[in-house]
Formats: sequence, structure tokens, C-alpha cells
Amino acid sequence: MTASLSLRRFLPDRATLIATALAATAVWTTAGFAPRVVVALLTQALIVSFLALGVGVLIRLSGLVTFGHAAPFGLGAYGAAWALGPAAPFAPEIGLVAVVLGVGVLFWAIGLVVGRVEGIAFGMLTLALGQAVHVAAGKFRHLTGGSDGLIVDLPRHLYGARTDALQTPFGMLVIAAVVLAVVLFGLRSFERTRAGRLAVAIRENEERVRFLGYRTRALKALVFALSAAIPALGGVLFTLHQGFVSPEVLTWGFSGHALIMAILGGTVALWGPIAGALAFFVLREELGGITTHWLAILGTTLIVVTVVWPSGLAGAAAALARRLGRRVGEGGTA
Amino acid sequence: MLINALNGLVWGSLLFVLSTGLVLVYGLRRVVNFAHGALYMLGAYIGWAAATQFGFLVGVAAAGLGLAIVGIALDLAIFGRLGGRHPLITVIVTFGVLLILEDVVRSVWGTRSYAIDPPEVLAGVVDLFGAPFPVYRLFIVAASAGMAAALAGWLRFSRTGLFVRAASHDASVAAMCGVRTAAIGPMVVGLGAAFAGMSGIVAAPFLSINPSMGSEILVLSFVVSVIGGLGSFWGAFVSAMLLGQVQAFGTVWLPELAALLPFLLMAFVLVFRPQGIAGTEG
Repeated sequence: MTASLSLRRFLPDRATLIATALAATAVWTTAGFAPRVVVALLTQALIVSFLALGVGVLIRLSGLVTFGHAAPFGLGAYGAAWALGPAAPFAPEIGLVAVVLGVGVLFWAIGLVVGRVEGIAFGMLTLALGQAVHVAAGKFRHLTGGSDGLIVDLPRHLYGARTDALQTPFGMLVIAAVVLAVVLFGLRSFERTRAGRLAVAIRENEERVRFLGYRTRALKALVFALSAAIPALGGVLFTLHQGFVSPEVLTWGFSGHALIMAILGGTVALWGPIAGALAFFVLREELGGITTHWLAILGTTLIVVTVVWPSGLAGAAAALARRLGRRVGEGGTA
Repeated sequence: MLINALNGLVWGSLLFVLSTGLVLVYGLRRVVNFAHGALYMLGAYIGWAAATQFGFLVGVAAAGLGLAIVGIALDLAIFGRLGGRHPLITVIVTFGVLLILEDVVRSVWGTRSYAIDPPEVLAGVVDLFGAPFPVYRLFIVAASAGMAAALAGWLRFSRTGLFVRAASHDASVAAMCGVRTAAIGPMVVGLGAAFAGMSGIVAAPFLSINPSMGSEILVLSFVVSVIGGLGSFWGAFVSAMLLGQVQAFGTVWLPELAALLPFLLMAFVLVFRPQGIAGTEG
């Protein structure tokens, strides 16, 4: 009885199922009927949304803001290039998974150290760490190809399927959406475990959680590792799609953009950062055609959103849903 | 050997002056200014534009004055209104300011890089213990020391400096004692921005002027502040000097790793002293 009850909280509820069905239909329609340019844009946005999601998860579960999460994304991208390269010690199928896990473990270890720093210093520290990885990628030419980057030749088959589809916008859009859905469901489940709720408790008041007898450092590091493994997965998809990696994916501007997406989308809902990423890409595409002052508009938007509407798109949607719900409720009673 | 140490001193003093602006604003507003590097860059461009017309000294003055105005405007329009907000919100807002300033620089001056020669008087090379050394680099050290000393003296001995220290310590108690904290904010942020702008133009003949100069040095000045302990002048001084030497000797002894050394140093310090050299617990 209790077992089935505790399992039930991991199962998707009706709203989630409806949202998933809608999203799947949207992806399917776009992939099938939208013009090629739009699909290509959305595919890019979806790949980068893994990075935004990682940043958002860190804000949501630990309240920490990172300015260096291009590092796990870039490590995932470079890692995939190595795992698919001639010098890889494992088969690519194992190597790609090992890259994501490896980045997670690495950031767990880093998290143990940087978890000691709080608030603002944490942001500065992650910025510096990200920059260190960026610098390293430029220096170790024999591994990374320096600023020229690496070109990757995909094997003909991966996980038993043909790889041609990965490099077409249509194929990657569907694959990225499916992987993203799995990640979202995994995150949703994690938040409902004991560890997930403890993470939120630490965010609210770490000292008090320590008083209760919990060791907080390992769990904080775990959340950090989780928030890094998701971008690493995005980086792997990036390499599979583009067939090319360069230090561009490690610049701190990229980290900053991911942060903007997460803030724009809001972190009150798990899907917020993904919506933010899509909005970011569409806005950039539209505005880029009209004006050259895209950066200034972006900066202004960021300031306005953070100051006036800190909960972002997801918060706006939640408020709207509440209002609609109330109206429907009133209609029912009348 | 000595030349290396001197190069480290030049680099260190530049980083120190830049970090003082950061420390000053953080001390009063509790805002870590991500736009600080962009202010430095803007100073370099404004200074360059003025210096090519009217000479180097005018350039430095223009950079200081121009950026002071930008800083005051920033505080009045943005920083001053963020009081009491979550610190992370302020960080993200300064990041937005950074994007806007970068756009301004890009649309006015484009994305190419510019070089500027040091003024005639400081152009030559001086013989130091048998090795040639550019006079201009000595000027950087002197100018930085002068600026830092002026700031320290002003904070320590003037009446306004006392008010600034009081407001940084506890703004509401200072206000109750009759300090006009509303006027101190714009002044301090303007001063911090002016310092950033002046170090931008002073550094310009030594480095080069380009749109990425701001973010490169911002990251290093963050390393300085984190190692030194946020909000501490002494910590910033010690860590800037340390970082200067590490970079100067690193490029000679470990050229492969030189660019990574500041980050390794920072990680090392944080493992043993998370609050930084001069920071206090919590």
C-alpha cells in the first residue's frame, strides 16, 4: 500500500501527460511541415536548451547562479569528438555515455570545492573556472585543435541506428526533443525523492539542515554535478549534429546567454529554461533581421525581466493558469 | 629575473587599481559589478578617441570624467534602486548593463582593435640595472600607486571618506547619524567607474584596445577579488601583486600553463581559505 503510494508520486499526473502530448504534437508538426530554416533554428535552440536547463536546475534546486556552465557543455562537445575519434579507447556507444557520466563526476568533485563558496562569490568563481577551461582549450592544441577546433566523422551506425538523421535538422529535432523529455521526467522524479527535497531545504537554509544532522556538502555537489551533466548531454548532441567543435562553445558569453535564457524562461517550472531558450533564439533571429542593436535589446530585456518579472515566462504562465483556473472555478459554481 | 618581477609589478598594479573600483562598489552597494570590465573598456575607447585629438593627458582626463558620469547615471538609474534585492538579481542586472555597454562600444567604434602610442615623454626605454625597460611600464606602476594612494588617503582622512566608510559598514545607521547616504551612492559608483575608465586608457598603450579587452580583465579582477576576499582593499592589494608575479614568472617558466595559473592559484586558495586572504568568516 505505502509502496504503491510512494511510487505513484513519480508517475506523471494528468497535466504532465497532456503537456507531453501537446509538446510531442508540436515537435512532430514542426518537424514535418515548418520551413527548413525554422526547423534548423528550433533544433539549435533545443540543443542549447540543455545548457539553459542545467543552469536553471542549479538555480531551482540550490539557488546558485553560474556564469561558467559553458564548460560542461563544451566538455561534453569535445568529449563526444574524442569518443568518436580514432584514438577512443571504447566503442563510441560506450564512450558517449562515459563522457556525460565523466563530466558529471568531474563536476561533482569541483562541486565539493566550490560548494564552500556562497552567493555572489560562487558566480565569480564559476566564471573564472569556465574561463580556465576556455583558455585550456586554446592552449592544448594537440587535443583540441586550438582555435581551429575539431572536425568529427560520425560512424555510419550508432546504437544500432543509422547516423545520417542526426545531422539533418528534422532528425535531430525529434531526437533532441525525446532526450529532453526523458531528462525532464528524470528531473521531475529526482525532485520528488528525499534527496531532491533535501536539496531545496539546503537552498532555503543550509545551516538548519546541518543542524538536523544531514551532511549537506555531498548533496550540494550532487546537484552541481546534475546541473553539469545535462549541459554535457547537450554538448554531445551538439557535436553529433554539427560534426564540428571549436572553443566558441566554451566562451563565457555562451554561459551568459544560457543564464539569460534560464532567467527569461523562469525557474518556477522545470520547462522554464527550455521556453527561455526557444524565445531567445526566435527573438535573436527576428531582431537580428531588423536592427544591429540586438545586444542592447537583450541587456535591456534582461534587466527589465529580472527587476519587474523575476519568475519569467514560466511564472507568467503559472499566473495565467491560476487566473484561468479561478474563472473556470467561478463559472462552475455560478 | 628583476625584469620579470617588474613586469609582474606592472601587471599587478593594473589589476589592483581595477579591483579597487570593484571593491569600492561592492563595499557600499553589495553589488558585484559584472559591467566593471565593460566600464574599463569604455574608458579605453573614450580615452583613445580624446587622446588622438588632444593628447594623452586629455585622454586620461576624458576617460575618468566620462566614466564618472556613466557611473553616476548607473547608480541613479539602476544600482540605487536595487537596495534590498537578492544579490543574485543585482548580479544579473549588471550583466545586462554589460551587454548594453558592449553594444554601445561596438556601434560607435566597431569590432576592430586599436593601438595607441604612449606620450613622447614616456615613450623611451630606461636602463635598469643593466637591462632595458620601457619607461611607460614604470609610469603604469607610478600612476596606479598614485591613484590607489589618493583613494586610500581620501577614504582614511577626509570627512566624505569617513562617511563612505560609515555607509559601507552600515548604511541605515550611518543615515540615522545624519550621513546623506543617498548622495554617497552615486559618488562612490561614479568614482569606481572613473577608476575603471582611467585604468582602461592607462593600460591601452601597454595592451591593445579591442572589444574583448573588458571581459578578459574582468575575469582576472574577479580572481583577484575572490582570492583577496570580497570587499577588502588589503586583500585585493596582496592578491593582485601575487597574481602579477605569478603571471610574469609563469610566462617564462611554464609558458604552456601560464594562462591557467591564476585559476589554479584561486582554486588552491579557496580549498584552504574559502573566504579569501583577507575575508572574514561568513
